[in-house]
Amino acid sequence: MPDTAHEQPQQRQFYPYTENGGTILAIAGADFTVIAGDTRQSEGYSIQTRYAPKVFRLTERAVLAVNGFAADGNMFVKKVKQRLEWYRHAHAKEMPLRAIARLIQTMLYAQRFFPYYVNNILGGIEEDGSGAVYSFDPVGSYEREACRAAGAASSLVQPFLDNQIYFKNQTPAPGTPHPTYLPLPDVLAIVIDSFTSATERHIEVGDGLEMYVVLAKGRSIEELADVAGVQELTTRADGDRMFVIQRELKKD
Amino acid sequence: MSIMEYNGGSVIAMVGKDCVAIASDLRLGNQALGIASDFEKIFPMTDRVYLGLPGLATDVTTLREQFRYRLNMYTIKEEREIEPETFAHLVSSTLYERRFGPYFIEPVMAGLQRLPNGGYKPFIAATDLIGCINFAKDFVVAGTASSKLFGVAEGLWEPDLEPEDLFETIAQTLLNAVDRDAYSGWGAVVHVITKDKAIKRVLKGRMD
Amino acid sequence: MFLTRSEYDRGVNTFSPEGRLFQVEYAIEAIKLGSTTVGVKTPEGVVLGIEKRVQSPLLESSSIEKIMEIDLHLGCAMSGLTADARTMIDHARVTSQNHAFTFDERIKVESVTQAVCDLALRFGESVHDEDAMMSRPFGVALLIAGIDELGPQLFHTDPSGTFVRYEAKAIGSGSEAAQSELQDKWHSRMTLQEAQALTLRVLKQVMEEKLDQHNVQLAQVTPEKGFEILDEVRLKAIIDAM
Repeated sequence: MPDTAHEQPQQRQFYPYTENGGTILAIAGADFTVIAGDTRQSEGYSIQTRYAPKVFRLTERAVLAVNGFAADGNMFVKKVKQRLEWYRHAHAKEMPLRAIARLIQTMLYAQRFFPYYVNNILGGIEEDGSGAVYSFDPVGSYEREACRAAGAASSLVQPFLDNQIYFKNQTPAPGTPHPTYLPLPDVLAIVIDSFTSATERHIEVGDGLEMYVVLAKGRSIEELADVAGVQELTTRADGDRMFVIQRELKKD
Repeated sequence: MSIMEYNGGSVIAMVGKDCVAIASDLRLGNQALGIASDFEKIFPMTDRVYLGLPGLATDVTTLREQFRYRLNMYTIKEEREIEPETFAHLVSSTLYERRFGPYFIEPVMAGLQRLPNGGYKPFIAATDLIGCINFAKDFVVAGTASSKLFGVAEGLWEPDLEPEDLFETIAQTLLNAVDRDAYSGWGAVVHVITKDKAIKRVLKGRMD
Repeated sequence: MFLTRSEYDRGVNTFSPEGRLFQVEYAIEAIKLGSTTVGVKTPEGVVLGIEKRVQSPLLESSSIEKIMEIDLHLGCAMSGLTADARTMIDHARVTSQNHAFTFDERIKVESVTQAVCDLALRFGESVHDEDAMMSRPFGVALLIAGIDELGPQLFHTDPSGTFVRYEAKAIGSGSEAAQSELQDKWHSRMTLQEAQALTLRVLKQVMEEKLDQHNVQLAQVTPEKGFEILDEVRLKAIIDAM
């Protein structure tokens, strides 16, 4: 029986944050970007739902993945979408990707003393047609990168990406340097393998995988023809194209 | 500040086709300050049983000596070499003896188990700091970079790798995982054990 | 038009029965007293020119500031109660920097023009717990010149808060004559040099004094160099070449 006679004084305090698990990942190609996230939402050892999207379409060519505290993540996406709409009305154009990235920084830093408990990854096609990935910390520090994993299993996935995307600790065969960018089928395979691996070794990852693929205008969609279950989200005939691909992940 | 993270360091063991490999980094630090880049954490207990000891450095040294003592006693009494699975249980009971004041180590073992028909079966195992054994079929990881090791190993490992391929796989797993961990790295060592020989290779990696 | 003062031009925000805001209209009249200002847009960039109106030989003409930079890619020229323009230009500058800070991109010319015009109708009597308003409308018109992804643009703003895009525009005391000259001579394939020459010729026509590098000023916005006010050396060279 606990010794109630010698207890210290206690105070209870409302803690505004919780961790909802899950993992997100984005990889940039020469003229495409893949942004993916698992669909499990958990709290502690419980699964809240097997399907809660963490990756959202912002514009024709921008996708935002948010991970950490789901309530903050969902609200943040709503607010970003609102700012995108105000910008569209004020400036008669869609926000270029670099502008969205900078906007996200200012929105996050505005909450510097009560932060959005989320790791954001923004992916899409830049104004010059190149694939781009921008990653953020909870208070708005950001950087453009070739690839980034964030969330519960980021420590599992990021080193794997370092090896497979950046070819770290690998010496190329003489005469054949490492490619700066990988082709789309390779990138999709790496994404799927990253999530199946993370699902194996991390309890908060699993149930389902949702991948968004953004292709620059004029890029052929041939490579997606062999992929199963591709859904197109593109609305304009003459611009960049966007697709979603879903896969199952282990449910245990 | 966790005592398991005081000195830093990581170990991994993997199963291949009729072979095993065990690898570790060489760093010894005092929290963020690096002290030594030649601190070995993997010790051959017999020709066919290797023990990796990541965690608090003083316990690494102490347990190495403890196991040397207990193994010698076993060998003298039993008049035979200890098998890997038995050694794993020896490790487990040694750690559980200190259940309420444990050694701050999470041992990793690799070896070749003798079979009745004369052949050898690859064996790996790991325990937590109070002796709970994990008999894995693929790989075991421990240390400050354990989550990174899990991630890369899960991505790169496949069953039935030949010794040369197993070497490449475990080396890439270790190098890329420790490069994402501030407390592991500063050199790396890989042991590949087959029924005839055990080859130790020192890896060239980032020294930051 | 305004020979008799009616009772409806007392209250600054009061409509007349015909639906006119007299104070705003009177403000627009004030600009007709101001020094002449000209803007000409070409595919190579936009040229702005002003008459300095040096009232006295003892006046230091270099201190007359009627063309101001808003951002690296934006500038503007003013005519009318030029002191009023300082607030507007400061607002334009702040808006431009805020946009660059928030969106990591250069603000559109139309967007900064809209921001300036948003200030125009914030005059009247303020209730004590709300932000103080201006007591009267601005008495200045601006020619805002800039370059963005849609190319070179020239906008005209006035005290009513309206803005209109122009290919070429003249404002101020000589504006009527200047504008018809511009209409005559402007064409869509003009070079920057031709625009500079046209601007100076138009100013020369409407100015009382002889035009020289001390009593006019030229500025331009180009994709390569952004907004720049021409120094007196370059200005003299262009004048001499005419």
